[in-house]
Amino acid sequence: MSASFSLPRIRTLAMATVTQLLRMKIMAFLLVFCVIVVAAGFAFPVMNPEQQLKLLKDVSLGALQLFSIVIAVCATALLLPRDLEDRTLYTILAKPVPRHEYLLGKLLGVLILIGAGLVLMDIAFSGVLWLRQSLVLAQSVAALQQEGTATPEAVAQLKEFVGRQGLTWNLHLGVVAIFFKAAVVTALTLMISCFASSTLFTIIIAFLVTILGHGQGLIRDYFLTGHAGVVKKLLSALLAVVTPDMGVFDVVDNVINGETVTPGAFGFMAAIACTYLAGYAVVSHLLFVEKEL
Amino acid sequence: MKRSLQALAVLLLLGIAKMPLEQAATREFRATGLLSEPMDLGMRENLSQMGFAAALGGLRSLVATITYLQAYHEWENVNWAKVDSLLQLTTSLQPGYANYWDDASWQMAYNAASYYLYDEKLQPMVRGRLYEEHVRRGIAILKEGLRYLPDEARLWNSLAEIYERRSHEPELAAQAYLEVFRISRNNRYRRFAAYQYAQSARPEFWSKAYDILHEAYQDPRQRTPSLIDTLKTLEDKLGIPTMKRIPDARRSMEVAPTELGPIR
Repeated sequence: MSASFSLPRIRTLAMATVTQLLRMKIMAFLLVFCVIVVAAGFAFPVMNPEQQLKLLKDVSLGALQLFSIVIAVCATALLLPRDLEDRTLYTILAKPVPRHEYLLGKLLGVLILIGAGLVLMDIAFSGVLWLRQSLVLAQSVAALQQEGTATPEAVAQLKEFVGRQGLTWNLHLGVVAIFFKAAVVTALTLMISCFASSTLFTIIIAFLVTILGHGQGLIRDYFLTGHAGVVKKLLSALLAVVTPDMGVFDVVDNVINGETVTPGAFGFMAAIACTYLAGYAVVSHLLFVEKEL
Repeated sequence: MKRSLQALAVLLLLGIAKMPLEQAATREFRATGLLSEPMDLGMRENLSQMGFAAALGGLRSLVATITYLQAYHEWENVNWAKVDSLLQLTTSLQPGYANYWDDASWQMAYNAASYYLYDEKLQPMVRGRLYEEHVRRGIAILKEGLRYLPDEARLWNSLAEIYERRSHEPELAAQAYLEVFRISRNNRYRRFAAYQYAQSARPEFWSKAYDILHEAYQDPRQRTPSLIDTLKTLEDKLGIPTMKRIPDARRSMEVAPTELGPIR
């Protein structure tokens, strides 16, 4: 078996993974997402323009986050057991494909699928938000015209106000932050599936660690600044060490309210995501190499 | 077995190495407003298990939207206690969004207060008491919001309006309007503050009002009827010598009617 590192082989494995997941009809969630976005976009027309646009952003980005995490956990948890069940794994590993390339191919495949899904959902969300924003602006300008106060300055001010609440590049950076989080969850799930005995176990543990990861900041603060006994301190230290900090990617909540993702903040998130991807990939490899197939 | 131990060692090393990076990122993101302060665990009592897990799981904004919509539903049912509790939950989930604080305060200081004031089933004393309590609640909500958003002109303006129109505390209204002026640098709010000082029962505030309005008077565009009228009243109250008084209001309006600003 070759110990070399072949990018074309990894690419082939990644594309095969994408095909495999597409055949599982995993992208059906896109349809559900579109229905949610359209419903959120045109529900509650009696609210003021700012609240209507905020509601659409909250619901859409919340759904986007939820779907990306669910897909990251479920799709990844299914991969290894399915390959074992179909005996595809034996066929692949019988060829000169090192185990780490197989794992990287699988990881990359899921990441491509989640990335593509997020791009499609972002396009659908942006389209509805832009449409809603245009409608809100047209209604507000019409109201000004009816009152006879539609001066060019007033209309420009209104455009700026609605524009700030509507579609901005910053929202797309929020979507990238969601992708970073999903990528970490994918790598984490792949690592768990390398030692798990069943798919159900992988899914449950991955969700549990993901939820714990959202409170990792609190656990870390407790460890670093809390005044507790030795046992509690040790336990919090252990939890802070083994769980990833998912909260650090939760910038989308405040991005909706107009906060800007600076290049520094973006770099920080990218660095943390890459650290986890690399770390979990190494651990996955070490576990998978020893796994009896 | 050897590989498993190596995996465990890498996992622990990764965990230790990442901690300073995560701590720095969290501190930086909180300082720049990208991340909210950690959620109060006491909220668990008010949120459903699912809602709490969702809020903890990075969906705080979505959960806040849901509790906000629930509050509007309770408003339709005229259940003021529930409206207050749901909006309190909403503002706790997203303390950085001024609109939630403004809405929560408006519900209490205007809607709930007026509802009780005109409720004929209640004794007049009780009505007055409930009106007062809900106006105070509205003020408390805005003050809490301003702890998180001290430079939010919109919240200061709402607070000033409640002091002016609901609790009739002109000195406090003036202070709040001066905060709006500090943030927005819009002279209009300085004038509003002066009008409030002028209504105070305490003479030391009249001279403050006089100074602000007299300064504003120097700009012909700010010589609104309200400003001239209030200045004239203050001149009488403070006993300003005739030579230092402004010309007759009617005459000043006739001289430059086109240069007058808006009514207030």
